[in-house]
Parts: sequence; structure tokens; C-alpha cells
Amino acid sequence: MKYGRLYIEDVEVGQTVPPLVKGPLQQIQLTRYAGASGDFNPIHQDEEFARAAGMGGVFAHGMLTMGFVAQALTDWAGAGTVRKLAVRFAALVRLKDTVTCSGRVVAKSSKDDLHLVDLEVWAQNQRGEKVVTGRATLALPSRG
Amino acid sequence: MPVTIDRRLIGKEYPPFAVTVERGRIKDFARAIGDLNPFYLDDEVGRASPWGDIIAPPTFAISFRDERADSAALLRDLGVDFGRVLHGEQEFELHGQLRPGETYLCRTRIVDIYEKTGRSGPMAFVVRETAVTDRTGEIVVTMRHVTVVRL
Repeated sequence: MKYGRLYIEDVEVGQTVPPLVKGPLQQIQLTRYAGASGDFNPIHQDEEFARAAGMGGVFAHGMLTMGFVAQALTDWAGAGTVRKLAVRFAALVRLKDTVTCSGRVVAKSSKDDLHLVDLEVWAQNQRGEKVVTGRATLALPSRG
Repeated sequence: MPVTIDRRLIGKEYPPFAVTVERGRIKDFARAIGDLNPFYLDDEVGRASPWGDIIAPPTFAISFRDERADSAALLRDLGVDFGRVLHGEQEFELHGQLRPGETYLCRTRIVDIYEKTGRSGPMAFVVRETAVTDRTGEIVVTMRHVTVVRL
């Protein structure tokens, strides 16, 4: 099921979001993301600049990893379901890193026609280190 | 050389700016993430969707910029350069969908500045909020950006 369509009745507290694996990250993706987002900070493009800034080399835009997390949610629940996404960038994502995004349902609620699911979300690298942690709220349709 | 961040910047509002969402920008943004969801990329799927057109991925509003303004305005206000700042936290609250062809108004202000000492030394956290409203004044997206400055 590549693009899911999730109903509130399908969701239980404790359920996990199918992991989305991205990478290994290549420079061209950071360059492409810079163009698409308008964030041309050379720290994501220029190895010398990133080293001189004390960052030990180029790293990915936090927003790119956040985009991966959002994709993990919408691949599972459907496009247009994200109501809220809030993350902390816990560690840098480097070139050649593989990022796995997932989440876990912590609450669900329904009021009138509004059906909400709260999740904790995260992204981790190939060493199992969390690079992003956060929470999300999805609004889902009902079969009812 | 240590820097200090002027807390008097709290409350500062940047000039509002309008952004018209281009269809191709939505698609470029989705493709840059590698998110090939047809609701972002396929005009026919969009037309048949509940929204009547393609929609933007959840984080798309991060690309909204004031084309007339100096992109380094915040850094200049803070008195630091590119190499000293990191993106610490980011939040999106989506009240609706961003659609191609629509024009949105963006208003950004600095809502908080605080300092903390972390593993790598003293840091300042600069919190900005951007409200994105549609033509009718209805709020569509609220963004909260936390920029970390290594002092």
C-alpha cells in the first residue's frame, strides 16, 4: 500500500506508522531542496564553508528531514491529513546517511465530524540515533 | 568572538508580503523531498480530489519568502552570519490546504528570544511565528521557527 487512505476506525492507540526509509543522502538532493525551498545557506552545499563554520562538513537542511517525516505520515494516512507537525532537530543528517521516519499513535479523539489522531514522530539515522523528534496531529475521515 | 542577541527584537514584525503559489513550485518542492504523492504532482488526480486541484505538501510554506526583501534580514538583525545559526525546531499548524494559483499573505514576527547553555556552549533561541492567510483573511498555515544561534 504505497499511498494509504486511512479512516479513524482503522487507528488504534499504540499503532506505529510504517517506516519510510530515505537515502543514502546525496549532495544533489540537498542542492535540489535548496532550489525548491529557497534556502541557499552554503552550509548545506559547500564543504569548505561548512568546515570553516565548525560544522565538520556539509549537512542536510533540517526542513528536508522534516519533509521526510511528513511524507511518512501522508504515505500512511493520505495527502491532506496533516493538521499539525512540530519537530526538534536533534542531530545533524550527513551526506550518505540513511534516514528512517516513523511514528506512534498516542491518542485519538472524535468530536462531531472532526476525527483527530495524535502521534509522536521521529526520524533516525543508520546508527539508530534520533535526528528528529516531534509530534503530529492528523485529521481523518470516518467510515460512519 | 562571542556575540549577544538583542532581546529588544522580541515583538519585531517584518513587513507583510504576498506569495502566489505556482503549480510548478509545489511539484518541484515535492520532488525535491522525493515525495511523489499524486495529490501533489498529478493535475488529474488533483481535479478529482476533494480540493479540486493538487495541494502542497505539509511543509511547503517554508518556501514562502519576501522576494523584495534581503533574505539575510533576520541574520542582520541578530548580528550573526550563516555559519553561526542552526534550525532548532519547526512547527506547522495547517488549517487548510495551500493550492496553486492562490495568493497568500505572510506576516512574520519575533515572538521570543531566550538563552541556554548546551553541550557545545551558550546558545540563543530566536522564535519567529509566521501567519499565512488567504484572500479572505482566513488563516491557512501558522509556522513557528526556532533558530539557534551559537554565541
